[in-house]
Amino acid sequence: MKHFGSFRTSLAALTAGTLAVSMSTAVAEPGSWTGEPVRIVVTFPPGGTSDLVARLLAKYLDSEFGQKAVVDNRPGAAGTVAADYVAQQDPDGTTLMIANNAPFTIAPTQFESLPYDPMAGFTHIAFIGSSSPGLFVKPDSGITTVAEFIAAAKETPVTYGSSGVGSISHILGEAVDGELGIETIHVPYQGSAPAIQDFRAGVLDTFYDMVAQNSDMIEDREAVAIAIAAPERFPGVPEVPTFAEQGYDIVIENWVGLTGPAGIDPAMAETIRETTEAVLALPEVVASMADLGINTKPMSGEDYTTFVETQIGVWEPLIIAAGIQGK
Amino acid sequence: MDILTAFGSGLATAFHPSNLLYCFVGVFLGTFIGVLPGIGSMAAIAMILPLSFYLEPGTAIIMIAGVYYGAEYGGSIASILMNIPGTPSSSITCIDGYPMARSGRAGVALFVSSIASFGGGIIGMVVMALLSPGLANLALSFGPAEYFSVILLGLIAASAVSNGGALKGIAMVFAGLMLATVGVDLTTGDLRFTMGVPELRDGVNLVIVAMGLFGVGELIASIRANSSGQGRQTIDYSQFYPTRAEWRASLGPILRGGGIGSFFGALPGTGQTVASAVAYAVEKKVSPNRANFGKGAVEGVAVPESANNSATQTAFIPTLTLGVPGSASMAMVIGALMIHGITPGPRLLVEHGDLFWGLVASFLIGNVMLLILNIPLIGLWVRLLQIPYRYMYPTIIVLICIGVYSLNNNVFDIWLTLFFGIAGYLMRLFRFEPAPLLIGFVLGPMMEEQLRRALLLSRGDPMVFIERPISGTLIAVTAGILVYGLWTTFRARRRSRSASISMSE
Repeated sequence: MKHFGSFRTSLAALTAGTLAVSMSTAVAEPGSWTGEPVRIVVTFPPGGTSDLVARLLAKYLDSEFGQKAVVDNRPGAAGTVAADYVAQQDPDGTTLMIANNAPFTIAPTQFESLPYDPMAGFTHIAFIGSSSPGLFVKPDSGITTVAEFIAAAKETPVTYGSSGVGSISHILGEAVDGELGIETIHVPYQGSAPAIQDFRAGVLDTFYDMVAQNSDMIEDREAVAIAIAAPERFPGVPEVPTFAEQGYDIVIENWVGLTGPAGIDPAMAETIRETTEAVLALPEVVASMADLGINTKPMSGEDYTTFVETQIGVWEPLIIAAGIQGK
Repeated sequence: MDILTAFGSGLATAFHPSNLLYCFVGVFLGTFIGVLPGIGSMAAIAMILPLSFYLEPGTAIIMIAGVYYGAEYGGSIASILMNIPGTPSSSITCIDGYPMARSGRAGVALFVSSIASFGGGIIGMVVMALLSPGLANLALSFGPAEYFSVILLGLIAASAVSNGGALKGIAMVFAGLMLATVGVDLTTGDLRFTMGVPELRDGVNLVIVAMGLFGVGELIASIRANSSGQGRQTIDYSQFYPTRAEWRASLGPILRGGGIGSFFGALPGTGQTVASAVAYAVEKKVSPNRANFGKGAVEGVAVPESANNSATQTAFIPTLTLGVPGSASMAMVIGALMIHGITPGPRLLVEHGDLFWGLVASFLIGNVMLLILNIPLIGLWVRLLQIPYRYMYPTIIVLICIGVYSLNNNVFDIWLTLFFGIAGYLMRLFRFEPAPLLIGFVLGPMMEEQLRRALLLSRGDPMVFIERPISGTLIAVTAGILVYGLWTTFRARRRSRSASISMSE
């Protein structure tokens, strides 16, 4: 496993390196963009993926580029507290946030009204990367493909654990039900860890969670990931087939990006993006991101802005299907 | 088995100079933060998390753990001296600790609290060393039905914590349960009782309720007490150290508290507050000195402190061996390990055994450090009581505001704390106890969540609680306690009635 890991890491580093070279034609140079310390607002309490990404960024922005940065956790109300706060700050590059689905693509459809505009209220600066969730079943169930899962679910009702109502794993669960024409029983938990605990204990038949983060369970044959909702097979878990290649159109991307208040000077935004990409290309960061199950991808500021806008449209029908609208 | 060898090599790891140094940094910071009302181990861990990136993973986790259990030592100090819990779990210590301080025995209370914390910490460490794999399996055999039954047992036990009438105690438990329903319904995602306030979507934070009811409520009450001439508290230096009898009286509670605390700590989610509440309730039933509980019994200080410290140690079992964090602080421990590329879970004991045993051994060292650190400071803490209120209380108010603000970096939480402070003051006026409310508030959401989950999984069949062996046993014990409680009340009433009849004759 170690060998594969280091091979994967070096390969990823190589790819990232090549990309960094090809991107170096851009105008801005990576480096500090403000003399003030930068606050990176996180929509979740300390300890989660967004928080770890923010802390990695803060660490290497300082050590590599002398840009002081602190992490500011402002959890609450599905990330909207943090987004609302950031939207109201001065666009001087001193306040940024780790953007993700919760406040930007789920909340606009889920909530009746939002105190901020997910597009016009922000400068979407740099895409960081994404992970994708998948469907896990028990090894002794004998199920290995989506087709077998459908057959089993039609025979007896299947329970699935999610990390909460309105969470990405719940939305995926409902999307799978709709696409596969089956009916499963949703059992919500507070976060994926307790759901996985009940799955291990035999309480749950299946669960949905990020696939790459659970590669240990797959390797130990404690769970079988029968499909991942990624556009293509995912680095780190290449043996897990996608829903798409089994004939089902289910793609869900759990992305993170760097976003600031609207009106950040384009030149400064470009420097922030260049610096972020340089940090993401560092071998230590590449390794940490692989451990977190995040597939990093460089993207221009315009492409990232378009990406967020398209994602709102992608999530809308999923949220309506999950029945969490207006809640 | 080879537990002793493993522990030995763990000791060698823990005695490494840099580990010793960071263990000290951790426990020192933890105690200090624990003393400050409202700022708990979570804020402290968030503060030192960036520092942990630069350390070896083993050293990092030893330091973070030190903060976590150090805070429990410090938490009881303000509870005893000022009736203001430094951490939510030490609010149970207020019940007997504060009356002790009022009667000039603050020194004794602090002494017993330190010793009990140490005892509980060591019990928790031994349990963790001996039973980690077993306890991890126990947590796995606890499904939703078992969780519901054990919480129900805790709640029935907790309604006995109250010192006022039983009816008032039960009323407060229910008030806590109702308060806990505010926020997003975890099973359907519907909003309940948020009255359109977005900050209430995630419910009311435990720290806010504890700080408001105990801390701010106490401060408001003291303004009145102060104007009527009741001033500083006296210190009886002749009663500074516990007597032999008090030592002996504390031993049983420390052992029982440590045992109960270890159990609740190992169950992810229940945590220190439940551990100390249940341990206190049990002790109040079995102690020979139960008549004095609530009036300043040393047992009432020893038992919750022992319980919350042992729970603090065993909380690492599910966190490390299952990867299931029981609290926000534990989630940060997982985060700190993940940033070093270590994923907590069933593999940790095998792949990173040195880290696990180094941590267990550091608990021993850390607890000894805390004892050495805390005992000499008792004199200093007690002298704090002589600071005039006009300097002391504004300082505390500022500290509470900082602590509460640090939860979500949100000013709304400060206003909410004021609201609960006024509620706490009114409760004091009408002699309602805040402790049962707090317990209902902590246990309510967990009980509801597990109840609904168990019923969802059983397709609505309530027999699941009786049919599963562990759950069935727990329900039987709960029913037994209820029947016994009713029988004793009934008997007492009949006796008093027959006594009044014979008097009238």
